[in-house]
Amino acid sequence: MTDNETKSSVRGDRDLANAQDIIVCEGVSKWFGDFQALNNVSATIKEQEVVVVLGPSGSGKSTWIRCINRLEQHQEGRIMVDGVELSNDLRNIEKVRSEVGMVFQMFNLFPHLTVRDNISLAPIWVRKKPRAEAEEQASSLLERVGIPEQADKFPGQLSGGQQQRVAIARALAMEPKIMLFDEPTSALDPEMIKEVLDVMKELALSGMTMMVVTHEMGFAKEVADKIMFMEGGQIVETGTPEHFFTNPTEERTKLFLSQIL
Amino acid sequence: MQSPAEEKSSTLKAVSQRVPLWRDVVVIKWVTQLGLLAVVVTSLWFLAGQAGDNLQARNINTGFDFLERPPDIQLSEGIDTSPATGGRALWVGMVNTLRMAVVGIVFATFLGVIVGLARLSNNWLIKRLAGLWIETLRNVPLLVQMIFYFAVLTALPRVSLESGPIHGWFHVSNKGISMPRVFISDGFYQWITVVAVGCIAAYFLKKQREKKHDLTGENTHAASWAFLTVCTFAIIGIFVHPIFSFVGEIFAALATLFENIPATLIKILISSILIFFAARWIRNFFASRRSATGHLSLIDDDIFRMVFVGTGALIAIIVVISWTGISSWILHSGRDLFQMLEAKFEVDGAARPFDAMKPDIVKPGKFANYGKNGLTMGPGFAAVFFGVVFYTSAFVAEIIRGGILAVPKGQIEAGNAVGLSRSQSLRHIVLPQAIRIILPPMGNQYLNLTKNTSLAIAVGYSDIVQVGQTVYNQTGKSLPVMAIWMLFYLTCSLTISVIVNYYNVRMKIVER
Amino acid sequence: MNSANSTSQDQFSSDSLTDVSKNELPPKVAALSPTEWLKANLFSNTFNSILTVISTAAILLIIRGLLSFIFNPLRQWSATATNMRLLMTQAYPEHQYARIWVSLGFLLFLTGISLAFWRAGRSVQLSQVGKRLLALGAFILLATLLAPFSNKATIIWLIIGIFIVGIGFLLKPSHEDKTVSSLTLLSGAFLLAILSLWVIPYGHHSYLSTRTPKILAEPGTVAMTTKLPWTIMFVVAMCSYFLGSFIREKIDETRSKAVLSATWLISPLFLLFLVLRDPDFDTGHLLSTDIPIFLFFSIVGSVLLLWLTRPDIGEKGRVISAAILFVGFATFLFQMLMIVRILTLVLAFFALAAPTFSGQKPARIRYTKVWIASMVILCWLITAINTPSTAKVPGDFFIGGFAITLMIFFFTMVLAFPLGVLLALARTSKFPIFRIISTTFIEFIRGVPLITILIFFSVMVPLFLPDGMDLTEIAAVTIAFIIFEAAYLAENVRGGLQSVTRGQHEAAEAVGMTNAQKTFFIVLPQALRVAIPPMVGQIIATFKETGLLAIIGIFDFLYIARSVIPGQTQYMGSTRENLLFVSLVYLVICFAMSKASQRVEKRVGLGER
Repeated sequence: MTDNETKSSVRGDRDLANAQDIIVCEGVSKWFGDFQALNNVSATIKEQEVVVVLGPSGSGKSTWIRCINRLEQHQEGRIMVDGVELSNDLRNIEKVRSEVGMVFQMFNLFPHLTVRDNISLAPIWVRKKPRAEAEEQASSLLERVGIPEQADKFPGQLSGGQQQRVAIARALAMEPKIMLFDEPTSALDPEMIKEVLDVMKELALSGMTMMVVTHEMGFAKEVADKIMFMEGGQIVETGTPEHFFTNPTEERTKLFLSQIL
Repeated sequence: MQSPAEEKSSTLKAVSQRVPLWRDVVVIKWVTQLGLLAVVVTSLWFLAGQAGDNLQARNINTGFDFLERPPDIQLSEGIDTSPATGGRALWVGMVNTLRMAVVGIVFATFLGVIVGLARLSNNWLIKRLAGLWIETLRNVPLLVQMIFYFAVLTALPRVSLESGPIHGWFHVSNKGISMPRVFISDGFYQWITVVAVGCIAAYFLKKQREKKHDLTGENTHAASWAFLTVCTFAIIGIFVHPIFSFVGEIFAALATLFENIPATLIKILISSILIFFAARWIRNFFASRRSATGHLSLIDDDIFRMVFVGTGALIAIIVVISWTGISSWILHSGRDLFQMLEAKFEVDGAARPFDAMKPDIVKPGKFANYGKNGLTMGPGFAAVFFGVVFYTSAFVAEIIRGGILAVPKGQIEAGNAVGLSRSQSLRHIVLPQAIRIILPPMGNQYLNLTKNTSLAIAVGYSDIVQVGQTVYNQTGKSLPVMAIWMLFYLTCSLTISVIVNYYNVRMKIVER
Repeated sequence: MNSANSTSQDQFSSDSLTDVSKNELPPKVAALSPTEWLKANLFSNTFNSILTVISTAAILLIIRGLLSFIFNPLRQWSATATNMRLLMTQAYPEHQYARIWVSLGFLLFLTGISLAFWRAGRSVQLSQVGKRLLALGAFILLATLLAPFSNKATIIWLIIGIFIVGIGFLLKPSHEDKTVSSLTLLSGAFLLAILSLWVIPYGHHSYLSTRTPKILAEPGTVAMTTKLPWTIMFVVAMCSYFLGSFIREKIDETRSKAVLSATWLISPLFLLFLVLRDPDFDTGHLLSTDIPIFLFFSIVGSVLLLWLTRPDIGEKGRVISAAILFVGFATFLFQMLMIVRILTLVLAFFALAAPTFSGQKPARIRYTKVWIASMVILCWLITAINTPSTAKVPGDFFIGGFAITLMIFFFTMVLAFPLGVLLALARTSKFPIFRIISTTFIEFIRGVPLITILIFFSVMVPLFLPDGMDLTEIAAVTIAFIIFEAAYLAENVRGGLQSVTRGQHEAAEAVGMTNAQKTFFIVLPQALRVAIPPMVGQIIATFKETGLLAIIGIFDFLYIARSVIPGQTQYMGSTRENLLFVSLVYLVICFAMSKASQRVEKRVGLGER
């Protein structure tokens, strides 16, 4: 099956045109001290959509997706996730966090817990699932990401790629509607990148809404429904991969692509 | 465009209108904090009120008047063994504590460095001995050690007119240890003036030699020259120091000056200095928080700090202005200081800068005792001294060893590679790096040592705690005495940590 | 980072600069001949040779001086031996001594089982044991020759020395595969000591022997009264060890380890307040007040907590818990039983923690069980403490000596730890007022010496209490210790908290944990792990600091050794002997603690993150 076929078959399953908006950002701005990290970012992401955010380092990509589950607070504008507005309301924050999964660049697995406990901890205590059920779920998730045999090891005993896959399983265990990936392959050795990307592809095929910050152009071309290019805290250009890689409109996009391709 | 800080607050306002109070994270945050603050303040208030009632019921007043009244106290050791007032007695106790702390720190460091190096020695016997020293002394409680040393010292033979072990030079007995004493004599202040002049001369000489070195490249031995100059002045000073007796007159003039300055001037002076410093601090603080583009963002802490500094300065100013006693106290003490210095210079020409005396033994009645000539350590002093020095030396030794071992092996290899000997690489490569690791825990040990001198109460050495206890047992003023203790120790701790932090920061800067 | 440091140190120390760990080098390395060894380690250069000669002379002199001090006929070692009961328990009534043996037996039983469950002890090579024995024997021989013994004593000691050397020689050449468990060695040593109780009449050759020269042991002397109990203790410890090894395979190990740890924590309370103190319960008061209060709180609390732990309770639970907390503080404004106030506050804290541990039915029931269990312990403890003891003793506390040292140490550690963790959390919190309060408290306590705090509490506490409330001096002093140690432990924990990376916080937040859950499940477990080594150091320091009780006149170990025994007419001037004994006890315990902690640290593989 070629790349294009994969994609078209995926598209066939999903009806993106009629899908509902799940993440809405309106004029989001954020400053670190006097440095403006986000400058009036507005964007809409639909259910089941896979969005890849590209851009040079320091362009605000990570800050933006960290604002979406409120690891950072935005200072201006509005963010709505699945109909819930992120504000100082405790209930909303809790709700959004349990519906948005996040995968970090440095994995951030809990080193004092086994892989199984890493995955089942949040379902037990946040989702209030019975322990047996949560552990069963952990096993099936580990199978899904391809490392069922590592369940009783500690994170320190796994390779980087395996750790990142555990991190994905941990996020999935909360049964999120949206998954955020913050440069999930940047800290990995080249031979491990593929195993993580394969898991992400599988996830995209299954219809998960995903926002991915990455430098993997191959992944973007193959899987993304939409590509957003950011620079200087602003979204410079938005478009489909075909449009973006073959025929970008903005000068800055062209410059960026010429530097990396 | 609006500044984001304002923008942020406006967003918060908009949100807090919509969110119910008990769900708003900002409200929860501040309610929790204020709740805890309320609980703490209420409990303290309640306890204080209770204490006040109880004190009144028992007819105990808590004033500080006992500081002025004559106590009925005989101290075992110190600058004044039968103090005239309660305050003076506490002062003697403080001096005794500080004396012990300083002497203890010096000797514990010295001993600890030796033991720590011995622990690293390649001589098997020495290494084992050092290990034994460390493990034994740090695992036996300091208090037990002190009491044991005290028991051993007081079980020594009675002092008699023929006491040894080296009669007339070094005496050890149940009254303590007595040895010859070198002390500064009447001519000292004039002599030290000569040395000060020598230092100034040496400074310029050194500069000049260094300049010559830079210009010509020949080795001019600048440091040696400076050192020799100071030495020369010191030696000559022993003979010619009376020529500096005129310095006394300068001090006399200064004393008169202080006597004639009006208190208001001092008030204005201090207030303006305070205002100047507070304003400068706040300005610098703003500057450090302000970015290049002039954008200012303050967090909770910053506001707290500025409010704290501002209020502190304001209170200090109000105190200085409204309380005339302070300004006149400053004037008086300035006058007294200069009068005292003046007196130091009014000595006859034949006085020597230094003097020394052999210890003596007197027998006024039936029992012999040490006289005033020698340097005498009473059993109490000796027990505390050996206790803190031995105990702390074990910890210092471990710190030294750890610090030296923490220097990466590659450093010594690099030293060997450029041809340095073992001792050279130790001195020029390992030590400078080890110092950085050693300093913070050493500061901690110095703090501990200072606090540990308070155990002196168990062996009857008149430190601040022991004197304080005697005072409140006699006067019933336990609360004020304890307040004085705490203040004293907090000041000591703060001073030591400030000094250590200063060196820490300096080391780091030098290193980079 | 810490571990990286220490391992690099270890490697380093075994290399060129020092040879600290030479003994640990594998024996494969070709052994040096004695002359070569001497040359390499003692006479490598002139300076070293001089040092060796001087220190040898010094060692010989010191050993001789020490021995002639210890074996001087003027020494009154019998003062220590005869007063052993006073040193250990002060005035605890003699006819109730069985209680002490029962308590000790229970603790030894726990020790035996725990050693088996945690598989403590390591294997030691027999050749190493031989080496150590050789050294010990040689030391005894040397010391015997230096000591001012009578001929007979010299011969006995020489025989003992030669015997030990002989065993050492037999063991030394044994193969390096032949090992023995260090626990076996330890129990062997204990067995020898206990057997010696049956042979050597400790604690009798004192003033008693002058009256009737042939008396071997008089009632009240050590060997006579303790040889049987100690033998039983030894048997109990051995049996419980074997029992532990037998059952550990048969039951769920994690669970039983948890049960054991809890027993360790709780059993001292039961032993102290039920077995040793033997409270004289007043049935009428129990039935009319204590039991109703207990039932009320357990039932009402259970219902409330069952409701509050429902997963869908939301912020309603928070509001209600806050209200209970408020009520808890408000109880102090009204006249009522202290126990009610305390239990209300505890209930409020359980309610506040409820959302953190909420879940499906089993989780909710488990949480309620914890509540009922803590009610049982708390109510019982408060009742027992407030009930008069049947042990009739002269002082105002029923036990003293080493027992009270241990008791205060135990309470300090158990209560200072949670307080220290709370202080550390407050000091690193995002809430400025929490930080200010905690920092002020910690820095104030750390800035003043312990003795001033102890004096403050023992002298001033009665002044701060409202009418009708009473606190014994022991309780006041224990509180002082707790506050002091908590401030230091807080600093250790803070170090651990700061070592938890920001990523860990973010990951926990990203999976939707609340702040409490994040702290409890993610941050604290990692922080405490890092903080173990400094905390153990602090625990050892605390144990040494218990000696300060003597200064404020509590009849502890040191006070009896220093002030009570030398006051007895027949033992005037025996302070040094008693103090040497006290030093030895402290030395052995502190040394053992620090060595054990080093071993545990290595075994857990600290900082392998």
